[in-house]
Amino acid sequence: MREEMGLEQRVEALLEDPAYTGHPLKQILAELFTEYREQLRQMERITRISDHYQSMARDSNLSLAERYQKQMRQLEKIARISDGYQHMLHDLNQALRQASTHDPLTGLANRRLILDSLHAEIGRCERNGAHLSVVMVDVDHFKLVNDRYGHEAGDLVLVEVARYLQRDLREYDLCGRWGGEEFLLLLPETHATEAMSVVERMRLGMRQLVIMVGDVDVTVSASFGVAEHRLGASVNDTIKRADAAMLAAKRAGRDRSELAQ
Amino acid sequence: MNDLSIAATQSSPAVNSNWQHGLLSMCGDSYPENSFELFDPVINWVERYLDESDAPLRLELHLLYLNTSSIKAVMDIFDLMEEAHRRSRPVSVCWYYDEDNPRAAELAAEFKEDCSFPFDILSKTS
Repeated sequence: MREEMGLEQRVEALLEDPAYTGHPLKQILAELFTEYREQLRQMERITRISDHYQSMARDSNLSLAERYQKQMRQLEKIARISDGYQHMLHDLNQALRQASTHDPLTGLANRRLILDSLHAEIGRCERNGAHLSVVMVDVDHFKLVNDRYGHEAGDLVLVEVARYLQRDLREYDLCGRWGGEEFLLLLPETHATEAMSVVERMRLGMRQLVIMVGDVDVTVSASFGVAEHRLGASVNDTIKRADAAMLAAKRAGRDRSELAQ
Repeated sequence: MNDLSIAATQSSPAVNSNWQHGLLSMCGDSYPENSFELFDPVINWVERYLDESDAPLRLELHLLYLNTSSIKAVMDIFDLMEEAHRRSRPVSVCWYYDEDNPRAAELAAEFKEDCSFPFDILSKTS
């Protein structure tokens, strides 16, 4: 670089030297020198523009990468939130299904689920001739509990009775709240005689049940009506027979179990 | 001006805007068949309001269920608000959820994550 500057300076000095005025080489050298200066200027300009383009391309690459990263982050977030909404919906659906098929007080199957299950079980009986027993259970003198200790105590008694009734059932049996203080048991694969012995055990056990209501111990009993499903009969017929048997137990003095005719 | 007044359907929220008060509200479920048709005018309104006015913008959301494209649209609106907030424009969001459904609040918090402007998640007693 220093040498180049030196050369330029020497050429300039020669061109300015009056000793060479009119020399034929001076004119050519002057033209050549101007041309050289112009070329140099052009080169610097091109370099500058090229550098500029390079840095612009680099910037745009960077912002493209940045935008891509941002989009990716957004996409991941959308997917995450969307999954959250799916889960929420799924859980709400389950809660809704549970609420529409279960009794909120006792957590037992409600009448709708009992009837659905009964239809399914009776369908199975009709197809393969299996036995099915249905038991109607009614808590004795429940109204007295309500009147004497209040409705909250009544609710507590229902919850405890529900828990007791379920306790010794098999996995495929079903205990539901039929309404008020009435419960219904579904005992698949069970003859009337087997059902009667299950129910007798239950009835005796229930008399041992002590329910704490505030500082008072309340004891309860229940009346049971057992009906074995007859092939060809409707769901309604079988429930009616169990109900009639339960009423017969009531009439015979309560705290009893009766087998349907 | 041109305020929005879109009635709710079973699958799309009610949308109402008030340019004068700087208020935009959306209320209901959002799983429309064509979410662009629903949200394009909303996003346009927000863009225009943020461009043409310098008054505060307040968003009131009572949204229950959002499908994926609705989530994207809502995030796009929040992005616009975030940009405005960086330019010192006063913007805010109130996200109301049903207190029986706390999961909805967790999801609102996920939306809030990238927003540095005031963003309140409030329970409403139904």
